[in-house]
Amino acid sequence: MSQEGQTGREKREIIEVESIESLREALTQERARAGGLLANWQRAQADFINYKRRSEQEKEETSNLAKSALVLSLLPVLDDLERALASVPPRLTKHPWVDGISIINRKFRAILAALGVSPVKALGEPFDPNLHEAALHEKGKAGIVIRELLKGYSFAGKVIRPAKVVVGSGEGEDKEASASSRP
Amino acid sequence: MAKVIGIDLGTTFSAVAVMEAGEPVVIPNAEGSRITPSVVAVSKGGERLVGQVARRQAITNPENTIFSIKRLMGRRFDEPSVAYDVKWLPYKIVKAANGDVRLVMGGKEYSPPELSAMILQKLKADAEAYLGDKVTEAVITVPAYFNDSQRQATKDAGQVAGLKVLRIINEPTAASLAYGLDKKKDETIAVYDLGGGTFDISILELGEGTFHVKSTSGDTHLGGDDFDQKVINWLVGEFKKDQGIDLSQDKMALQRLREAAEKAKCELSTVQQTEVNLPFITADASGPKHLNITLTRAKLEQLVMELVEKTLGPCKQALADATKTVEQVDEVVLVGGQTRMPLVQQKVKEFFGKEPHRGVNPDEVVAIGAAIQAGVLKGEVSDVLLLDVTPLTLGIETLGGVATPLIQRNTTIPTAKSQTFSTAADNQSSVEIHVLQGERPMATDNRTLGLFILDGVLPAPRGMPQIEVAFDIDANGILNVRAHDKGTGREQKITITASSGLSKGEVEKMQRDAEAHAAEDAKHKEEVETKNAADNLAYNAEKTLRENKDKIADDLNKEVETKIAEVRSALGGSDMEAIRRTMQELSDAMQKLGKAVYGQQQPPPEGGQPPPSGEEPPGKEDEGTVEGEFREV
Repeated sequence: MSQEGQTGREKREIIEVESIESLREALTQERARAGGLLANWQRAQADFINYKRRSEQEKEETSNLAKSALVLSLLPVLDDLERALASVPPRLTKHPWVDGISIINRKFRAILAALGVSPVKALGEPFDPNLHEAALHEKGKAGIVIRELLKGYSFAGKVIRPAKVVVGSGEGEDKEASASSRP
Repeated sequence: MAKVIGIDLGTTFSAVAVMEAGEPVVIPNAEGSRITPSVVAVSKGGERLVGQVARRQAITNPENTIFSIKRLMGRRFDEPSVAYDVKWLPYKIVKAANGDVRLVMGGKEYSPPELSAMILQKLKADAEAYLGDKVTEAVITVPAYFNDSQRQATKDAGQVAGLKVLRIINEPTAASLAYGLDKKKDETIAVYDLGGGTFDISILELGEGTFHVKSTSGDTHLGGDDFDQKVINWLVGEFKKDQGIDLSQDKMALQRLREAAEKAKCELSTVQQTEVNLPFITADASGPKHLNITLTRAKLEQLVMELVEKTLGPCKQALADATKTVEQVDEVVLVGGQTRMPLVQQKVKEFFGKEPHRGVNPDEVVAIGAAIQAGVLKGEVSDVLLLDVTPLTLGIETLGGVATPLIQRNTTIPTAKSQTFSTAADNQSSVEIHVLQGERPMATDNRTLGLFILDGVLPAPRGMPQIEVAFDIDANGILNVRAHDKGTGREQKITITASSGLSKGEVEKMQRDAEAHAAEDAKHKEEVETKNAADNLAYNAEKTLRENKDKIADDLNKEVETKIAEVRSALGGSDMEAIRRTMQELSDAMQKLGKAVYGQQQPPPEGGQPPPSGEEPPGKEDEGTVEGEFREV
């Protein structure tokens, strides 16, 4: 405390000798400096507030993000199960072993449904890039999903995997189909 | 307050980053992805689509889905590269009246900057949503070989998108910034960029804080996609050998193969082998067929070796053009996802003779560098805002010579922390605040920063007075320590300036010492704590005995007194075993005392024992925030 007092006294003596002009100049400079400091502080404060808000949001989302990442990594297994069931040899369709696999498939889908994961509507629907990814463009009703290559799923209001589909090109519908049919 | 973003506007993917609290942060787009496909489209219904959603419908709408716009930015229609691109790009490219390039999308003509602007607009909007703040300015990167016309086109794109482009910087420069190479002295830097579809090598020279591009070279058709293709070809070959079926003719199988090949390639960057597992990949008359092939890292490296070696030619060329030898290259930076492959890193290391920089995500390093440049231009990375940290832990000495920390080392300053302590002995009339700096658990092993006394503490049983000790460090590193008696209101303080601290070398030595002595320090601290606990136990036992003297038999009285004395005498020495043993014996004696006192009451009702009321576990004071006690002065 005592040290500051001494410097204060010295300063006062010097200032009395200086002109009003230099005072004004000093004031302008100090104002500019203070303005800069305030701006920096405001920026830091704004950064902090935004970061906090985002942190809160992310906390809420983290659980969903983790779940959807996990579900996403398991989906290929479900895909393969469905492929297996889609290609049962005709003579085995009534075999109880096949029934067993069918039940396993249903169980897996039920677990996903209970988690809030639902399949995306694709087959027969108008193609929507928000829900579907067009993998092939082939003869069929224009703009309609004519085949599903991979099922799409949504979770917590977001599409976690778009359905991979074959979209109709409108050819075959048209009586005068164009010569080349390569998409 | 508006933020400046850094944008990597890539041929196939774009990324955005921004400086936040002095650190670059990559901003995810509205779909949650950190990269956005550089694709724009107009749907059949006239809706404009940008990014991932545009990519998804590309196959159904090839004439109106525009990608690789970067290849056409700033070019005249009559340039040979444009003539080449016209042949393979599925959308229409036409000549404008002034000779520039125009693209046709949804029946309308657009200049390449207008289309790039659509991508930038989406990036801007997603950044604003993420930051919760307006974005009006940006730094955008371009390849080092872009000419003035191409750079201007990129700037124009920014303007159309509503962004003031503070600067256009070169991609290899941005990558160097991301690794902090601008802080180094004059150096020669090689930036090796192997992305999805192109390879670029740049030789930069850093002089007086500025980067100059000395030369560039590369291969516009060499990238990760080619690596994937090698794997796909091999899988098709193996399957044919194994099962006699050619999968390359099966469009659906190829889809799955492509995905699986890329996945396997990525996995093999971290594991030695992986299984490519595609059940029901196809079928023939005899039934379904499955692909189940193991791919080892060694095999993958064999398959792609020629591709990796193909990158070395342009590296040699770039060095020659820069009139530099390999030995003259001081730093090597890796950019692009494909550089994650161990074989690529190894070949780069062998060629340049030094370890390449690779800590930053190679897909994001250019965007991050752009954000850093944006921060510098905005003055966000100015010295005024650079904050310091306290290099060593600060604390005070408490009962038993223990160093109790208040501010942990590496805490950003300015900062403040306070804690409440109490007295160590009954009727203690003053407390000594011994301010310490260091990592060791015992006060004597740390450095004394200052010492002061707060007196006028009213007589009270030990542990009752509340002395709040507050540490406050300002931005200049000046430490103020204040001790405040909550009861009497008296306070005392001390100011310690930064110059009374330690040099960098001394700091490091103290940290090393702490690590070296960690085990014995921990043991020593534990001994002190045991002694404190024993002391507390004896104190409480004496108190309890005094209060219950008339309720128990004389011989039990004597027994407890003897045990207390034994603990006190053991505390006089340093035999830890003796201390622990006598503590246990005293504890047992106290139990007997307790039984005797409670035994005189009615037995408790059925249903078990009620919890003992008012009994304090030995050695603990119910004070809440009290961590330690001051020793008597």
